[in-house]
Amino acid sequence: MQNRLINKMNENFAEYLRDESRVCGNADSISFPKDEESIINIVKDAYNKNILLTIQGARTGLAAGAVPNGGHIINLSKMDKIISMKNVDEEYYLTVQPGLILSNLIEEVENKKICIENFSKESKKAYVKFLADKNKYFFAPDPTEKTATLGGMVACNASGAKSYLYGSTRNHVTGLKIVFIDGDKLSIQRGVYKARGRRLSFFTSENKKIELKLPKYEMPTTKNASGYFIEDNMDLIDLFIGSDGTLGIITEIEIKLKKRPNIIWGVNCFFEKEDIVIEFVQEVKKQMNCIAAIEFFDKNALEILRKQRENSSGFSKLPSVRKEMEASIYLEIHADDEEKAIEALKNIGEIMKELGNSDENTWVGRTDEDKNKLLLFRHAVPESVNMLIDSRRKDNSKITKLGTDMAVKSKDFRYIFNLYKKDLMKYNLEYAIWGHIGDNHLHVNILPRDINDFEIGKILYKNWADKVSEIGGAVSAEHGIGKIKTEFLKIMYGEEHINEMVKLKKYFDSKELLSIGNMFKIEKGSKY
Amino acid sequence: MKIVVCVKQVPSSNEVKLDPKTNTIIREADKSVINPYDKFAIEEALKIKDNLKGEVIALSMGIPATEKILRDAMSRGCDRSVLLSDKKFAGADTLATAYTLSLGIKKIKNVSLIICGKMAIDGDTAQIGPELAETLKIPHITDVSEIIKISENEITCRKINDNGYSIIKMVLPAVITVVKDINLPRLPTIPGVLKSIHASFEIINAHNATANINRIGSTGSPTQVIDTFIPERKNVAIEIEGDIDKKIDFIGDIIKEIMYNGRIDN
Ligand SMILES: Cc1cc2nc3c(=O)[nH]c(=O)nc-3n(C[C@H](O)[C@H](O)[C@H](O)COP(=O)(O)OP(=O)(O)OC[C@H]3O[C@@H](n4cnc5c(N)ncnc54)[C@H](O)[C@@H]3O)c2cc1C
Ligand SMILES: Cc1cc2nc3c(=O)[nH]c(=O)nc-3n(C[C@H](O)[C@H](O)[C@H](O)COP(=O)(O)OP(=O)(O)OC[C@H]3O[C@@H](n4cnc5c(N)ncnc54)[C@H](O)[C@@H]3O)c2cc1C
Repeated sequence: MQNRLINKMNENFAEYLRDESRVCGNADSISFPKDEESIINIVKDAYNKNILLTIQGARTGLAAGAVPNGGHIINLSKMDKIISMKNVDEEYYLTVQPGLILSNLIEEVENKKICIENFSKESKKAYVKFLADKNKYFFAPDPTEKTATLGGMVACNASGAKSYLYGSTRNHVTGLKIVFIDGDKLSIQRGVYKARGRRLSFFTSENKKIELKLPKYEMPTTKNASGYFIEDNMDLIDLFIGSDGTLGIITEIEIKLKKRPNIIWGVNCFFEKEDIVIEFVQEVKKQMNCIAAIEFFDKNALEILRKQRENSSGFSKLPSVRKEMEASIYLEIHADDEEKAIEALKNIGEIMKELGNSDENTWVGRTDEDKNKLLLFRHAVPESVNMLIDSRRKDNSKITKLGTDMAVKSKDFRYIFNLYKKDLMKYNLEYAIWGHIGDNHLHVNILPRDINDFEIGKILYKNWADKVSEIGGAVSAEHGIGKIKTEFLKIMYGEEHINEMVKLKKYFDSKELLSIGNMFKIEKGSKY
Repeated sequence: MKIVVCVKQVPSSNEVKLDPKTNTIIREADKSVINPYDKFAIEEALKIKDNLKGEVIALSMGIPATEKILRDAMSRGCDRSVLLSDKKFAGADTLATAYTLSLGIKKIKNVSLIICGKMAIDGDTAQIGPELAETLKIPHITDVSEIIKISENEITCRKINDNGYSIIKMVLPAVITVVKDINLPRLPTIPGVLKSIHASFEIINAHNATANINRIGSTGSPTQVIDTFIPERKNVAIEIEGDIDKKIDFIGDIIKEIMYNGRIDN
């Protein structure tokens, strides 16, 4: 490609061949467009020359979605501005570019210090109102990795601890702008284009009518980031959210801000017996409606933390967990006033006591400093595990962490939890389990000591995907399918529905050039 | 053993706002926290209580809203708290503050050990601990990084000093001020938070403290504040442009300049 923006690949760009899955790909060239027009020029050129395209945000993805498979990389990290703000019916909306990094958005919104350099008069008016508003606001989706871009979050339908109460990214996106592979465009506002049953039609910016026949599968009713979002009478915007970069390039995102509750407190509850935890969580879910997050850490996760605390100065500031503790649940209270938050604390303590656990085994975070300690604790778990794996990879580079991302229905949670543990014990594997237990969504992390462990781990992982699919769960609940979980998607939906997805993709990308290998493998020249 | 922990309310942000007219610190209740060093003082008192039994009392001089941080101290394990609060205490310098705190200690009675933070992050003088000990005519050790041994009548501490450390033994009652390395403060528990809502919180005014009016507040403060200002920040960040070789050369030049000339202005 001969465009000023195009850089030939060289060793300076080596990092762009990878993401956090640590899979390494290859590419011929890379660009860092700063506006939509540049993107359109690049894709048109690529389209005419049949060049494969890969889209990248911050490459924090865990499923290799942003890892190129040859061709050209469009990296969107330079499109990182907040473009406009609107205020409709007392709600605030921001339109942002896809390369905006989540932590920057959080900082600007929560401190009410948004850079308004590019704002129109209308936007500035909304912003003045926002500043004068006595309420505080926030963007609810909170994946652990705060350096992800908004584009990447929309493409993966990312979620976080607080998605238990507020839902995933999907629930907070009200508008999208998409550039298609042929350079055509689409602006969508939620509520405008609705399917009739499984038929959806709409007009692009160039007035091309597109009529889609949507796949026939039923999605799991659990938290889900596996495959396209498809349901009867669905909104067109939901097709693009969670589409893993396979349908088009997201160039603008409109998000809705939420009022921030006045009181946000965290509580870490510790349990001497792991088996009580599931009952505890069930009771919390039944009795309480001001809980925003319910997170789990098993005995091994706590043990890894204990070791880290002793061996690494970075973690020495972590509060210490008593040796007898087998599991921990983190709860986050979101309340309008302190009285309600105190009631919630009481309620949590009572549930613990009813289950024969002392409520003394708790850490309450009410001040910023204490809340940060709880956050450090939660983040230290995955970080410690990654450090452990990195040190093992020095001896054997074939080993990687095997981390699951599956969610099931509430009624199946105990079954699947016991299955994980039984299999892990049977093969004597080293592991740690943590995650979003409130959504019946745990990350089982197998920590292979050698290649043998690694191979067994892969087999277990596939078996679990089988079981989870069988009982109507999701094989990926938040990280997306990307390139490394395509087999699981096949298990989950079966060959026929995968073919429907491929067909759907081809409405938008008839030449099969965009994000090839994400979600499903496309055989070149295949006829669907 | 009866232990008093002196806790001070300080602004939560590093950016301390000054009243341009009076040159005093503007204190906003909802943005205030426990002086960070005092958390270590609380933890050390609780650790002693865990071993020797007894009572831990949080003591502060401040505005009525200081109740919030005292309740926070109680949620961490302090048994009760006492607040010296009166308009007449306002404008106190370290001498007057130490005197006022000493009145609180006398009211509490039979105190064996008083623990202060090394210093307050807003006032920054590190004078209160020693001045309080002098006012009460009892011994003190500053900058304690470890309590090696403690009994009803005696304490042995490791004290950090410029060249290393000293190990010092003194009789009780006494005052110590503690540094941040001394421990890792525990977090409040659910029962701790619930208890702190109704725990005993006593306010003592100048009259009840039987204060000598000439020794409290601005009247009792020989310190004259002539001017206060936020230090000007001279260092600026620079962005280095160009390709990797240019950047390396640029950084190399900066390092050379620092090595030969001590520092550079940028
Ligand atoms: C330590 C760690 C913790 C994590 N925790 C969480 C978590 O709690 N929850 C969670 O959901 N995820 C989590 N992740 C995964 C990751 O952060 C998310 O998947 C995130 O949404 C990826 O954003 P990104 O900008 O890095 O996207 P990338 O990795 O660059 O891309 C991800 C996918 O999105 C596509 N894409 C990116 N931008 C666009 C665009 N503008 N238009 C179209 N397609 C696009 C890419 O092609 C690719 O398929 C974690 C990752 C790490 C490393
Ligand atoms: C020049 C000057 C100007 C000042 N101006 C003002 C002002 O305008 N407004 C104002 O409010 N203060 C002002 N102060 C500070 C005031 O004197 C302090 O509140 C008090 O004297 C404590 O001093 P410090 O903050 O340096 O504490 P340090 O001596 O640094 O504190 C050491 C420890 O003493 C204990 N301690 C200190 N203060 C208290 C307290 N109030 N209650 C309980 N324990 C305590 C804590 O354990 C603390 O960790 C000023 C001080 C100086 C020197």
